[in-house]
Amino acid sequence: MTGAESGLVRARLLADLDEAARSIAPLWPLSTAIAVNPLWDLRHLPFHEAVRHAQQVLGISGYPSPALFAQAYATGRVSVEDLRAALDHDRDAGCQDAYAGHEPEPGTRRWQTAAERRDEVSGSQLAANIDREMAKWCAAYLAGIVPMGPTEGFYAAWRKVVVFDPSARSLARRAGRKRLAELGADPEDAILTCLDLLSISDQDRIPELARHLARTPGWAGHAKWRSRWAAPDQPGPSLHLVDYLAVRLCYEAVLLVNATVPSALAMGHTAKRRRVLPAPRARRAEGATYVLDDGNRTRAEDSVGVELPDDLKRHLGGLSATALAKVWLAAYEGHFRDRLFAALDRPALKAGPSPQAQVVFCIDVRSEGLRRHLEGCGPYETLGFAGFFALPIRFGPWWSDEAMDLCPVLLRPSARVPERPVTSTGRAASRELEGRQAVAAAQRAFNSTRKGALSQFVLAEAGGIVAGPIAVAKTLAPFWYQAARRRAHQVIAPAAATGVDAEPSASTMSDDEQALFAEAALTTMGLTRGFAPLVMLCGHGSTTENNPHASSLDCGACGGNRGGPSARAAAAILNRQATRALLAERGITIPATTWFVAAEHDTATDIVTMLDVHLVPDDHAERAATLQSALHRAGAATAVERASRLPGTESRRRVTAPAGRAADWAQVRPEWGLARNAAFIVAPRSVSAGVNLDSRCFLHSYDATTDPEGVALETILTAPMVVAHWINAQYYFSTVDPDILSAGDKTAHNIVAGVGVVQGTGGDLRVGLPLQSLYDGDRAYHEPMRLLVVVEAPQAVLEAVIARNPVLQHLFDGHWVQLAARENGHDNWKIRRAGGTWVRRVPAGARTEENAVRG
Amino acid sequence: MDETWELTQMTRIEVVISGEDVAVATDLFAEAGARGFTAVSNVSGLGHRGHHQGRLLFNQRDALTLLTVVLPADRAGALLEGLRSLLVNRSGVMLVSDTWVSRPEYFR
Repeated sequence: MTGAESGLVRARLLADLDEAARSIAPLWPLSTAIAVNPLWDLRHLPFHEAVRHAQQVLGISGYPSPALFAQAYATGRVSVEDLRAALDHDRDAGCQDAYAGHEPEPGTRRWQTAAERRDEVSGSQLAANIDREMAKWCAAYLAGIVPMGPTEGFYAAWRKVVVFDPSARSLARRAGRKRLAELGADPEDAILTCLDLLSISDQDRIPELARHLARTPGWAGHAKWRSRWAAPDQPGPSLHLVDYLAVRLCYEAVLLVNATVPSALAMGHTAKRRRVLPAPRARRAEGATYVLDDGNRTRAEDSVGVELPDDLKRHLGGLSATALAKVWLAAYEGHFRDRLFAALDRPALKAGPSPQAQVVFCIDVRSEGLRRHLEGCGPYETLGFAGFFALPIRFGPWWSDEAMDLCPVLLRPSARVPERPVTSTGRAASRELEGRQAVAAAQRAFNSTRKGALSQFVLAEAGGIVAGPIAVAKTLAPFWYQAARRRAHQVIAPAAATGVDAEPSASTMSDDEQALFAEAALTTMGLTRGFAPLVMLCGHGSTTENNPHASSLDCGACGGNRGGPSARAAAAILNRQATRALLAERGITIPATTWFVAAEHDTATDIVTMLDVHLVPDDHAERAATLQSALHRAGAATAVERASRLPGTESRRRVTAPAGRAADWAQVRPEWGLARNAAFIVAPRSVSAGVNLDSRCFLHSYDATTDPEGVALETILTAPMVVAHWINAQYYFSTVDPDILSAGDKTAHNIVAGVGVVQGTGGDLRVGLPLQSLYDGDRAYHEPMRLLVVVEAPQAVLEAVIARNPVLQHLFDGHWVQLAARENGHDNWKIRRAGGTWVRRVPAGARTEENAVRG
Repeated sequence: MDETWELTQMTRIEVVISGEDVAVATDLFAEAGARGFTAVSNVSGLGHRGHHQGRLLFNQRDALTLLTVVLPADRAGALLEGLRSLLVNRSGVMLVSDTWVSRPEYFR
């Protein structure tokens, strides 16, 4: 092959590899773990088709189990009317074929790698052996155990050491082990050589590679994150997709190339001797599931198994298991939708007196309860906005060179805003810095001792004298231990007063850029007039102990970090006179008497801490103190409400209360996080004020009357709504497919190289959410439903926004997300069907004829 | 082209793709040996999917990006093949043209 031909082939391979990687989701490192729709890169397909694709590639079910639906029916969570409405809905939409006896296309089957095809024929365990080797090498590489050059990738590093690996010799014998490292100097060449050896044709390449990635969605997901999402300057070992596949295919080629039945390796080979495909990877956590049968159709291992009226029996009885699941899911979602609209359809609240303060919370569902209780505590107005407050920044504490990206992962930070000690605290700042440096030096010494070949044994012996009592204290007296640790830290490195320096001379944002972001934030949240004397920007974070998934409880809009720094930076910018002068030129006048203050809501304890209090002017101090007091009462009421939903709180022991859970290092469920999230409401607060939404709704403030072109609406739907959909889809798939798409049981987690967790001693990195975030014992606490988006805006504006954004067309037309809207409070809610048809919402049981309205 | 200008002929490839496909496109540039490229994010225009307004404030992944790369003609074939394969399943536009540069060593 000439050089030019080789270039063509390699380029085509890279494009195919990227296409193959659509079947898996990127997996962020633990420190910035965020929720992501596991099927996001299949969103160009309608939801049900994407699920079907994932059934073939990943082996998932994609739908709630029959047991979950049966339980929902038994408890009235799904009614006969809901099921009838679900069937009617699709008749009305003209898609009866989606349900009526629809079966997968003939000839389709679960995708397999060459090793899986061999295992199927011979009963061997080659694929599992390759998975095990991959997990071992990936972990060793990322943990820095494999020696590597500064720019050396995973494949090159592995190739140098695999020839000494005893388990490679055991698997492939001595000659095979040597051969592993001889299949190509670079990963692309190795992949091409291996595909050739395995007789994989160009047409079969994408499914073959996709299945390779899908066998270990954790490690492959980490590689996808690194290759497609991480910043180019992201530090740490680089495990890229091409390296990952090269190593995997080398094993497969070497272990299979001397096969006695060569035809069994080729794609499309049908096993003759073994009739049924291998069983799904592991048992589901709850009830029966839908699996592929030997005809490659989806079937139920167990029907929903409830007694239904004759008409429903007649309609549902002829459906395939997948079609049945679709109907039940639609009914399950419809039931929630009806209850939500019943709650929202109430007389509009009269406007109260001018607010003493406006508090802007993150759209996170956990803010809803706190907002409701705060509004009940006095003349306070609350708003909802993405918790990064429109500031995509890189931020680091003043005493550290390390920085974090505070923005949704859909963005790259565009500026750096520093923290600085306030000038009057020079000596205090020096003392804190010295204390922190001492602590950091001690930690470095501890870590290097821990990793030393011999010193780790000495450390284990000597350290036990200290570690033992600490463990006892953490277990028996977590509050005391937490307080003692805090006091010790305060003695060693007493915190100096600091502030965020937004001056252009210190930050990388000019006055104009700051004004632009301020304008975007205020117009998108609908706060362009009527400013209260005090405006609080309240981010959120979650304080938990011994929790590898802690960042998944922090703010997703801040890239899985705590939201306090974003609130501080936004408040600093909005308090600058230069920003306000430019905003006034743009038509937004912030009174000189208005002060912006930052705060952070701890969602594990429901304590709200006001930040940078020392910067609050004297004439606002009393108002700020009053607000702090109201937030204290609101937080306490929210904690009581939340405690009623947490299991184990009935014991009334302090350690099982919300604050106790946050301090307890043995607590596997410090909070429910965003479990039971179900809807995203984009409307003025008056639409939902006073309604107990049970912390199930993302609330984004929006005033359509100030946004005739839909510019702010476009921003909300293309960013915060997408993030909310990711969260919703992550919870959905982790709940319905816990074996493959959840992180499993927390109690058996081990952290690997800081990038993820494995179950037990090794294996694939676990993706998704831990079972304790989804299930209460065997019962699903999260209700798996697709996100319902509720917007108060004219349909014409909505349709214009959708028409110019393919991502919205995919989500709404593809049934990933359901959209409901009304123009104003005098209008009826309408539901959007695929393609832009709107129908008046009619609750189940009251359905006569829906009035179709062209959007 | 006037020879007195002392310019060197190269191939210029421009692609307009979704922000989320930029990483794989730049991988292909690197594979083809390109020494650099230019990216303009959030571009607007009219295509077969309608108007793109280029005003997605907080979503760079779904905004359109214009990538421009210049490389010697003998290396362009591999890149074209990779981009063509990529665009089989993705939306986007690819434009190829001759161009001339004054400092060819920057592109080889």
